[in-house]
Amino acid sequence: MEELDGEPAVTVIPGVNSKKNQMCFDWGPGEMLVCETSFSKKEKSEMVPSCPFIYIIRKDVDVYSQILRKLFNESHGIFLGLQRIDEELTGKSRKSQLVRVSKNYRSVIRACMEEMHQVAIAAKDPASGRQFSSQVSILSAMELIWNLCEILFIEVAPAGHLLLHLLDWVRLHVCEVDSLSADVLGSENPSNHDSFWNLPGNTQTLTELELKWQHWHEECERYLQDSTFATNPHLESLLKIMLGDEAALLEQKELLSNWYHFLVTRLLYSNPTVKPIDLHYYAQSSLDLFLGGESSPEPLDNILLAAFEFDIHQVIKECSIALSNWWFVAHLTDLLDHCKLLQSHNLYFGSNMREFLLLEYASGLFAHPSLWQLGVDYFDYCPKLGRVSLELHIERIPLNTEQKALKVLRICEQRQMTEQVRSICKILAMKAVRNNRLGSALSWSIRAKDAAFATLVSDRFLRDYCERGCFSDLDLIDNLGPAMMLSDRLTFLGKYREFHRMYGEKRFADAASLLLSLMTSGIAPRSFWMTLLTDALPLLEQKQVIFSAEQTYELMQCLEDLTSRRPVRGESDIQQLQDEDIETTKVEMLRLALARNLARAIIREGSLEGS
Amino acid sequence: MREAVLTWCVPLELLCSHPLPVSAFLKTQVKLYTYRACAGKDEMGKMVSVINTVDTSHEDMIHDAQMDYYGTRLATCSSDRSVKIFDVRNGGQILIADLRGHEGPVWQVAWAHPMYGNILASCSYDRKVIIWREENGTWEKSHEHAGHDSSVNSVCWAPHDYGLILACGSSDGAISLLTYTGEGQWEVKKINNAHTIGCNAVSWAPAVVPGSLIDQPSGQKPNYIKRFASGGCDNLIKLWKEEEDGQWKEEQKLEAHSDWVRDVAWAPSIGLPTSTIASCSQDGRVFIWTCDDASGNTWSPKLLHKFNDVVWHVSWSITANILAVSGGDNKVTLWKESVDGQWVCISDVNKGQGSVSASVTEGQQNEQ
Repeated sequence: MEELDGEPAVTVIPGVNSKKNQMCFDWGPGEMLVCETSFSKKEKSEMVPSCPFIYIIRKDVDVYSQILRKLFNESHGIFLGLQRIDEELTGKSRKSQLVRVSKNYRSVIRACMEEMHQVAIAAKDPASGRQFSSQVSILSAMELIWNLCEILFIEVAPAGHLLLHLLDWVRLHVCEVDSLSADVLGSENPSNHDSFWNLPGNTQTLTELELKWQHWHEECERYLQDSTFATNPHLESLLKIMLGDEAALLEQKELLSNWYHFLVTRLLYSNPTVKPIDLHYYAQSSLDLFLGGESSPEPLDNILLAAFEFDIHQVIKECSIALSNWWFVAHLTDLLDHCKLLQSHNLYFGSNMREFLLLEYASGLFAHPSLWQLGVDYFDYCPKLGRVSLELHIERIPLNTEQKALKVLRICEQRQMTEQVRSICKILAMKAVRNNRLGSALSWSIRAKDAAFATLVSDRFLRDYCERGCFSDLDLIDNLGPAMMLSDRLTFLGKYREFHRMYGEKRFADAASLLLSLMTSGIAPRSFWMTLLTDALPLLEQKQVIFSAEQTYELMQCLEDLTSRRPVRGESDIQQLQDEDIETTKVEMLRLALARNLARAIIREGSLEGS
Repeated sequence: MREAVLTWCVPLELLCSHPLPVSAFLKTQVKLYTYRACAGKDEMGKMVSVINTVDTSHEDMIHDAQMDYYGTRLATCSSDRSVKIFDVRNGGQILIADLRGHEGPVWQVAWAHPMYGNILASCSYDRKVIIWREENGTWEKSHEHAGHDSSVNSVCWAPHDYGLILACGSSDGAISLLTYTGEGQWEVKKINNAHTIGCNAVSWAPAVVPGSLIDQPSGQKPNYIKRFASGGCDNLIKLWKEEEDGQWKEEQKLEAHSDWVRDVAWAPSIGLPTSTIASCSQDGRVFIWTCDDASGNTWSPKLLHKFNDVVWHVSWSITANILAVSGGDNKVTLWKESVDGQWVCISDVNKGQGSVSASVTEGQQNEQ
C-alpha cells in the first residue's frame, strides 16, 4: 500500500467550521475557491448556521510583490539569452558564457535584495519592516546557494582554485571573516597569504603550490613543537589555527558566524588544495563540529551540504521545499541543464525536471495581469508540454481592453495557435455585438474566419440599414476585399454597398447590372429583395434607359417570384393591413415602372439595331 | 494489491478548522508529494494564502461556487433558492445579480464559454434547470427547462467547439441535453434511465478532432465526436457518445465503485492521446480512469486513495495537472501527478539509491 513521507502540510481556512460542515472547492483560472457547504442533498437544511463566505485562495502570491517583479522581469531577459546561446559552443568558451549567465542571475538577486533592504529600513510600521527583512534574508540565502552552485557545478573549480572561490564566497556573505584574516595576517609568520596565492598569473602549478604549503605547514608545526610562542597563548592559539586545528578554531566560534565559514577557514589552514570530491567529508564534519550537537541543521544547511556532496537533485528538491515560489529552482535547474549536468547524472527524467519546474513557474506568472507575458516565453522553451500549457492558459486571460486583446492575438498568431485565435476573436465579436459596435464585431468575425457569425453581423447591418436608411462603418464595408468571401451574407453586404457607391458615382449601368445580379445569383436574401427592387425604381425612372429589355424581363421575373411566394395572411390587425397596403402600392409602382422601362428599352434596342 | 506503480501523489491538504491567527495560516506551507508503491517519496512545497473573502450574504447553505472563465466573476448558489453573481476583480466583491426563480435549493451553477455571451446555468431540487443570460448589463432568466421528474443534481456545459449545449443529470435517472438552436430556442434530447435510481454527475470530454490534427479548411465544421461521462446511484460511470443520427448511445460502463458515484470529472486535454476521468463515490474511493487508445475502448482504473468518508466532489485544474478532492472528512486534498513516474525516485528515505527502480515499467512513464 502507498506510504506517505510524512504528514502533508495543512492550510487552515479560518471561519469554516469543520465540525459541522464540509468544504466545497473549485478551480478558477488562477485562483481557488473554497467555502463551507453541506454535500448531502436534503431539501430542508439542518438549521445549522452556515457561513456565507467564499474564500478565494491563491498560490504563488509572490507574483504580486512589487519588488520581486523586477527579479522576474530581469531574469526573464537572462533566461532568454541563455536559451539562445549557440548550442555549437563547447569547452572553455561555453563554460565562460554559462558562468557569465550565472553571475547575471546573481547580480539580479543582489539588486533585488538591495532594494528590498531599503524598503525594509524605510518601512513605517515594524510588522511590514520585519516582513521585508525576512524577504531580504531569503534572497540572501538564495544568492548564497546559487553562488555555491556556480562554483561547484558551473565554474567547476579545480583543486586550488576551489578554495579561492570558496573564500570569496564566504567573504561575500560573512563580514566577520575580515577580522579573522586581519588576525592571521598580523602574525609573525613570514609567509602571508597574499603572496601565497599568486594565482592570477598562474605561474605556479598545483604541485608547486602544495609543496610550498607543505613547507610552510611544517614550519608552523615546528614552531609549535618548539614552543616558540609558549609565552604568548594568543599567538600559540593562532598557530594552532593556522595548522588547521579544529578545536582551536572552534574556540573562536563567535568570530565564525556559521559552519561553512568554519569549513572554509578550516580548509584554508588544513587542506587548501582540497579536491572537489573530498569537500563533502569536510563539509559534514564541519557542520557536526560547529553545531556540536546543540542544534539540528536547518534547511539552508541541508541544501549547502547537498551541494558539497554534488547531489544536484537533492539541492533542487530541498530548495523547492524551502522556498515560497518556483523562481529559484526553475532558473537554476534550467541553467544546470544547459551545463548538461542533469543528464550526466544519468537519471531518466533529467530534462523533464527542467521542464516540469519551468511549467510550474510560468503557470504562476499567468495569474498576474501583466507578468503573464513573461510566462509565454517560458512556455516556448518547454518542448513537450509548453505549447499546450500556453494554449490552456492564454485563453483565460481577461480581455479587458482592445490593446490587451490584440496583444494576446498576436502571440497566438505568431505561434499558429489557430484554435485560440478563433476562440478569442469569437468572444470579442460577441462582446462587440452586445455593445452594438457592429463594425468591430464584423472585423473580429472576419479575423476569426467565422462565417456564421459574419452572417449574423451582416444581417444586423442590413437590418440597421433598413431602419435608418444608411450604413454605419462604411470604411470597413468598403474595404472588405477578399474577406468578403467569408460568408454569402457578407458578400451581399459588400456588394450592396458597392451598388450604392456606383449609384453615387452615377455609374448607372454598372449599378443596374450589379443590382440585378445580386438577385439572380441568389446572394441576396429573399427578405431583402423588396428593398433591392425598390432601389431599382429610380434607375427605372431615369430619362435614359438603363436596364436593357432582357434585364427588365429578369426584374419582372424576380418581382413575380417575390409576390407569388408571399404567404396568405389570415385575420390581420390594422397595422398589418396598412403594411399590406404599402406593399401592394409598392408592387404596383414597380410593375408600372418595369412595364414602362420595358417599352422604352425595346424601342431603343430596336432602333439601335436598325441604324 | 496492485503491484503496478501508482504515479499519483498526495500534495496539499487544506483543512478547515476553527480560526487561527491570520499570520499562522498564511505561513503554513503547502507541500506537494509524489509517492510510489515501493520506493521513496518526494516533496515540493509552495505557499498558499487567502487573498479575498467574499461575503455572499446567502441566507442558507452554499452548495456551489464557480469562477467564470477569466476569474473575474463568481457565481454562487444556495439552499436559500437564489443564485448570486459577484464581480471579484482586484480583490473586490460587488454583487452584480441576485437571481430568483428556483423554488428549491439550488445545487450547481455552470458558466458557459464567453464566446456565447455571459450565460450561466443553474439546477435545483425543484426539478428545473434555468439558463440565465446577461443582456444590456442586466441578468435575466433566458430559459427554463422543466423536463425532469425529480431533483436535477448536476449541469455541465459542453466544450464550446460543439456549440452551446448543456447536459443535466437528475435524480429521476435521466440525462437531458439542451442545445441552443438560435432565436432563444433550445432543443431537448433526453436519455431516460441513464442510471437507475438517479444520476448524480455529468462531465463532458474535451473536444478533440478525431484522426489527424491537421487544420480543417475554414468554414467547414470538423467532425467532433461528442462524448460525456455520467455517474449515478447504480454505482456506475457511463460514457455516452453521440451517434451520426444525433442520438446518444451508451458507449462504456465503468465499474469499480461499490456505492453511489457522487461525481465524475473528465480531465482537460493536454494534447496527448490519453483520456483521463476522475470519479469519486459514497464508498470513499477516488479512481483515476485512463484510456490510452484513441478509439476510447479500454479504460483502466487506478485507485487514487481510499478515504474514510464519502467523497463528494472531484475537479481538475485548468491544465489538468492537479485534482481537487472534497471529502466528507471535511478536507480538500489536492493531488498532483509527477512529470513522469520517475520523479519519485529521489527520496529522503532512500538517499543514495539514485538509480531507477526496476519496478517502474515503460507504461507508467506516459505523461498525463
